[in-house]
Amino acid sequence: MDYLYDGSFDGLLTCIYHHYYGAAASSIYQQDYYQPGLMVNTKVVETDPALAKRVYIAIEEKISGDALEKTYHVYLSSDSNKENLILNYLRLGFKMGAKVDHYHSHPDVYSLHKLNRRVGIETHRLLGLLRFKDTGRFLYAAMSPDHHILTLIADHFADRLAGERWIIHDQKRKLAIVYVGQDDSKMKPIQDKWYLTDFAYLMEDDIADKDQHWQQLWQLYFQKIGIESRLNPRLQSQFVPQRYRRHLLEFQYTSGTRKVP
Amino acid sequence: MDIMTKLDILADAAKYDVSCSSSGVGRNNSGGTGNCRSFGICHAWSSDGRCISLLKILLSNDCIYDCQYCVNRRSNDIPRASFFPRELAELTIQFYRRNYIEGLFLSAAVEKSPDYTMEKIIRVLTLLREEYEFQGYIHVKVIPGADPLLIYRAGLLADRMSVNIEQPTEGSLRLLAPQKSLSVIYLSMKELTDKIQEHKADRRHFRHTPRFVPGGQSTQMIVGASQDSDLAILHTAQALYEKFRLKRVYFSAYVPVNKDSNLPAVNTAPPLLREHRLYQSDWLLRFYHFKAEEIVDSTHANLETEIDPKTAWALRHPEFFPLEVNRASYEELLRVPGIGTKSAWRIVSQRRVAAISVEQLKKMGVVFKRAQYFVTCKGVYAGNKPYDPAIIRKVMVPEAPLQQMSLF
Ligand code: SF4
Repeated sequence: MDYLYDGSFDGLLTCIYHHYYGAAASSIYQQDYYQPGLMVNTKVVETDPALAKRVYIAIEEKISGDALEKTYHVYLSSDSNKENLILNYLRLGFKMGAKVDHYHSHPDVYSLHKLNRRVGIETHRLLGLLRFKDTGRFLYAAMSPDHHILTLIADHFADRLAGERWIIHDQKRKLAIVYVGQDDSKMKPIQDKWYLTDFAYLMEDDIADKDQHWQQLWQLYFQKIGIESRLNPRLQSQFVPQRYRRHLLEFQYTSGTRKVP
Repeated sequence: MDIMTKLDILADAAKYDVSCSSSGVGRNNSGGTGNCRSFGICHAWSSDGRCISLLKILLSNDCIYDCQYCVNRRSNDIPRASFFPRELAELTIQFYRRNYIEGLFLSAAVEKSPDYTMEKIIRVLTLLREEYEFQGYIHVKVIPGADPLLIYRAGLLADRMSVNIEQPTEGSLRLLAPQKSLSVIYLSMKELTDKIQEHKADRRHFRHTPRFVPGGQSTQMIVGASQDSDLAILHTAQALYEKFRLKRVYFSAYVPVNKDSNLPAVNTAPPLLREHRLYQSDWLLRFYHFKAEEIVDSTHANLETEIDPKTAWALRHPEFFPLEVNRASYEELLRVPGIGTKSAWRIVSQRRVAAISVEQLKKMGVVFKRAQYFVTCKGVYAGNKPYDPAIIRKVMVPEAPLQQMSLF
């Protein structure tokens, strides 16, 4: 039987619960993207946070905290088959316990590890490739990542830029993290450091004039630091794939970088 | 002179420095700007494919020394510039809060005297750490011969420091950098090593002992400016790791910038392939339990260019192979071409639960194309060619001579 869920992590975990305590799931899909087949029975699973929590705890206790984290990260990926990878991985995990991650070459473990690694690589990449602009009131950064990694990078910037206010905007998913910062006394950070919100507004025109100055300096620096006799654009594109460049200041040569003889 | 022009001159002058990593220090923000992540973060990749992590810049290029291999040497007629400490601190902060960079790598030509330069460096660091409350990563170049007290003060503010050795032997350093000497360089290195050890020991007992260069010490050697062999280079590197507990030795393929009878001609291509092989060897020294003498020796004083040093070693030691992956120790697995530290670890971890077959080995991050000739799985030889070093060498070396650049 195909299970259909609402796309939330709780919804996915609720499916796992019913897989064990109701009719077994053959596959799990997001309801919105589901293409019904003729011969398949489907069941629309209603998200139940209480049941989800029980599964959450069971993964942590019966498999491992690490497995729970991997499951969550794979859930955040944009792979259209991720729910089934998770289902298969957890099925094996509940049988084997924490050992499951030692079976690197088992197909159910291998595929999940691989996808988990992809999400991890993109998360790590964006920690470096994100660029903030100063609007005069807060810092603003736009990105369009392959996977839904927005919440995975938030803590890093909440710590690093603790004294600032900032917004990180996932333009692809029309979501943003907003960080409102500490109060002025710098003594106590505000309780919830950041929150996730819908965000469809394009900020590009709101950038303060003085930001231009630093942008130009960065573009100049970027241009100067390459060594001509070692030029290697192929290597450069390996590290900074084209799809990331749209949001990268140093690949936009429009704002008049000075060329000095 | 405006800051644009200064940046132009002083970034250009710093670009030949290779080390740029920010890894090895973990620190959360405790009320200021910035933090450090031990895993290291790259922020951009320049047109030559190198990672940009730190704002790599010279405080000044107005040098009183005349090292032959250096663009900034006194006898060159080039535009000179110097930052005011506050200018550079502001630049660092503004780049950092926009997430362009992970921190600062501050280097300097010897302006007026080693002490004068070191003091100016300390001024930048003090501004950043105290006034701007900057907690991001700072790497500082030590000016050899500066007063130990000044070096010590800088070390209390920096995350990593490096004294560049430049050349592997005293002879070539004397020849190419007449005002420098290895003994002075070693003295400054030793100062740092001792102080780092001291602070580490003290911090175990006294919580309030300040941190001193928590990211450790590194150095850089220029490759290809002098006649030194890879044997000399790797021996020196090994000694530096052992004696001074350096975190990294960086190699920099010499880019000819000056005309001089002691140097390669100006249109010579930088020896990138050699630099690459040296880094591979350095990797073997640091993570694969190799000794320099195993990688090169007096009969093979230079690294082979057509084959990586680990494979070269394996082909010289047929008695060691093929290894049974289900029995070999972790250290032995590390000797197999195509098996890295991670895949060796995976093999050891998985075989605890079940013996490994050839098919499984392929899925464990092993570069099977290389490893197949050197291993057996459950007693079965994995290679598609008989185990014979001469034959294996033939299959492993690409037909056409390696294009230098295509390697990377
Ligand atoms: S001391 Fe440094 S900057 Fe000055 S000439 Fe020598 S290498 Fe160049």
